[in-house]
Amino acid sequence: MRVLVLATDAFGGYGGIAQYNRDLIQAMASQAAVDFVDVAVRVAPLSLDDIPKKVQQAQATRGRLHYCFRAAAMAVRARPDLIVNAHLYHGPLALALAKATGARLISQLHGTEIWRDVSASRLGPLRSSDAVLCVSRDTRQRVVEAAPQLAARTHVLPNMVRRRFHPGDRAEARRRFGFGDEKIILTVARLDGRKGYKGHDRVLHTMPDLLRQYDGKVRYVIAGEGDDRARLEGLALSLGVAHAVRFTGRVSDEALPDLYRASDVFAMPSTGEGFGIVYLEAMACGTPAIGLDVGGVRDAMLDGQLGACVPVEQFPEALRAALETSPDADDLSRRVHAHFGENAFQVRVSDMLHSFLKAEGALRSEPLLKGSA
Amino acid sequence: MTSACERYVVIFNGEIYNYPELRRELEARGTHFTSASDTEVLLHLYAECGADMPAKLRGMFALAIWDNHARSLFLARDPYGIKPLYTANDGWTFRFASQVKALIAGRAISRDPEPAGATGFLLWGSVPEPFTLYRDIRALPAGHSQIIDEAGPRPPRAYASIAEVFADGAARPAPRDDVFSRVRGAVSESVKAHLVADVEVGVFLSAGVDSGALLGLMRDAGQRHVKAITLAFGEFENTVEDEAPLARLTARHYGAEHVVRTVGRAEFEAELPAILQAMDQPSIDGVNTWFVAKAAHEAGLKVALSGLGGDELLAGYPSFRDVPRWVSLLAAPSRVPGLGRAARMMLTALGVGRQNPKAVSLLEYGGAYPGAYLLRRALYLPHELDALLDAQTVRDGLRRLKSLAALRASMTPAPARAQSRVALLESANYMRNQLLRDADWAGMAHSLEIRTPLVDFDLLKALSPVTPRLSPGTGKQALAAAPNLQLPRAIVDRRRTGFCVPTGHWAAAANATTAASKGAGSRAWAREVLKHFGVANASVAGLQKACTGVAAELAR
Repeated sequence: MRVLVLATDAFGGYGGIAQYNRDLIQAMASQAAVDFVDVAVRVAPLSLDDIPKKVQQAQATRGRLHYCFRAAAMAVRARPDLIVNAHLYHGPLALALAKATGARLISQLHGTEIWRDVSASRLGPLRSSDAVLCVSRDTRQRVVEAAPQLAARTHVLPNMVRRRFHPGDRAEARRRFGFGDEKIILTVARLDGRKGYKGHDRVLHTMPDLLRQYDGKVRYVIAGEGDDRARLEGLALSLGVAHAVRFTGRVSDEALPDLYRASDVFAMPSTGEGFGIVYLEAMACGTPAIGLDVGGVRDAMLDGQLGACVPVEQFPEALRAALETSPDADDLSRRVHAHFGENAFQVRVSDMLHSFLKAEGALRSEPLLKGSA
Repeated sequence: MTSACERYVVIFNGEIYNYPELRRELEARGTHFTSASDTEVLLHLYAECGADMPAKLRGMFALAIWDNHARSLFLARDPYGIKPLYTANDGWTFRFASQVKALIAGRAISRDPEPAGATGFLLWGSVPEPFTLYRDIRALPAGHSQIIDEAGPRPPRAYASIAEVFADGAARPAPRDDVFSRVRGAVSESVKAHLVADVEVGVFLSAGVDSGALLGLMRDAGQRHVKAITLAFGEFENTVEDEAPLARLTARHYGAEHVVRTVGRAEFEAELPAILQAMDQPSIDGVNTWFVAKAAHEAGLKVALSGLGGDELLAGYPSFRDVPRWVSLLAAPSRVPGLGRAARMMLTALGVGRQNPKAVSLLEYGGAYPGAYLLRRALYLPHELDALLDAQTVRDGLRRLKSLAALRASMTPAPARAQSRVALLESANYMRNQLLRDADWAGMAHSLEIRTPLVDFDLLKALSPVTPRLSPGTGKQALAAAPNLQLPRAIVDRRRTGFCVPTGHWAAAANATTAASKGAGSRAWAREVLKHFGVANASVAGLQKACTGVAAELAR
């Protein structure tokens, strides 16, 4: 099976979506049935050293038209059996290429893009997909809502948590970040003013009470960088909790597991989350996580079996409760990996590809472009 | 039930009439049976034929088979959709049940309303498949099977289509002279097949041809003693609506034990909560079936035949005359863009719509089969819904229902003959969404299995070439002549009234007196519907209007 992936970014990209794309590509490439995976990206990679075998990522092309030409050229050269469209906005292009080459089309949705009403030109290609992959049940629900006929073809493929997120020496981790005996509350997220929904404000507003309750021995650690930082710093000042709030800026991939381990609670009361891989990373490191009962968070928390997801008005209380409990870190981590680990992800991708190989008769008619690969 | 090898597990709702033949065939091919249970046939048949298995079954069924080796689930529903089967899939967990209520009771499925549910209910008087009142619950289409395995649910696949059978029949119509003999042969055979049972089989007997002929054919099939159950209403005594005298005539004619069960307004009102409780999806009907099933249960029956489906199969409804007539008359003018809407608005302005809201829309819908059928069957037309439900629900509901497209899909492939088209539209819509569903919950509530010899895929295959030759009247004459001892003339000549319940009278009586009788009739009905189905966004006034319509429909 030959696969062509159309993505905004993948290898060398930054952020959750690039990571998900990499995981999906890697999992596909590791299948024996897959001959190669070609990847067309738009954002230039920061570094390119971990591209797996059988995968080729073409040079990034920012311009829309240029990207279309490049992707078309790749499709003509590679004659894919399967096109994976990793961004809703590339839908029309992906569908055109699928039609031209006779390939099956999988559309992949991360969540947030389907939250606004999507236009007909984008729903069209979605409707013509052989399968639609969503990161969460919530996203799937929104897709089916917009296009009921997709119900039987829309599947959930959740994010994957990597092996390097596991419990470790907590004391050592706390020393590394200079934490003392305070209770540490952690949020890891881009501080994006436009998004503004990650819920930092909500945690900051609980801080005055928590500081009173714990005699000042609570710290709120905000990891991540972005244009919302100044506003959050201002809010911390006006609430009189600035001394107990620490902005770490962007944390390197290498340091992240230790930061999770060093914390007592991972709290991200975000109101709009396609999935929320960070909750899983925290819990995989043995740190309890708490979020709101919205969107894809319910999935990451396994409906409350792994971590708490509560209605917004119960958040302060739930946060206090979470600070008082100390779960069995190894057990929590084991359960997270069992459901969302690399193995579970591999199995899901393999099942999906095999169901494609097994399925009788392509939905699409003969390719428009004939000839051998 | 689990197979002897423990590989397959089956759960099954319904009745398979060709068990004995299937078992014999399987045994002849060397299959070893370990029990006397009929259900074991399903396991062996699935082991042998896999997904092709439901096409071999004759009967009414919703079944699920779990394969322990392949770790896959197989679901199937009978070709007519006699037995309901609902599914819910949130992307992680796939759930299924034979009732919507059972899925909701599990508490894991969202109760978010499906706008097409409430809208469709007001449009048709029942929620049209595949929709339910809930966004996350859908019906598995009739005649479809579905596989759910490690990669999730596969799209449902059609294994049988009543549309195809009607279309086939219309393409090779039977000679006119053969109509009576073919109806006789096929219906006799179907009744015989539907009598296979371990317990006594009774019959619902009205004053009409369908149930009378069934009774006669039961006798021909060798059933000496038949219990016939007739529903009578105190309010109808000595009127043309009273079914009891003619039913008594038929019963005596065939020597049946006749049970006439009289229902009064007090009993109706007392049972109303139980009726709404048992109702799986909102329905404007089913009350009649409820009481006749109750009477059958009281008479000690566990199985009864019903004449349901006779009107669909043998052109019993006025729609067989009206729909083709409207279409041939209006096909040309309705092609003028906007003319239908304009005519409706003009006639409405002239006040025509107040008396007859459907008349003003004749040009708008009547020019093609789906629209003409909608016009014939609809409780309310789309443009009337804004007065009943909030505008957003109506807009979303209509957009999702796509009623005309759905009707067109239900008659695809379209039979070439007018009578076959109407028969198909009636069978795939009104009968499936309303009559069969009502028979299911109303019968189950009284532990009564209602069998429908006139709704049978094998019977349909035999009679679909006859359908083009039928007109309102001839079909019933043929059926009346089917038993060895023909139905009495008085039954055949009787003006058709349908099997009706005087709920309309009761509701109207309650409305006439004002403050004193709050809590009775249609207002009570409105509140009950609101409470039981939580159509919270419907205005109470709208529902009252709807339920007056319900009552009117019931009295029709």
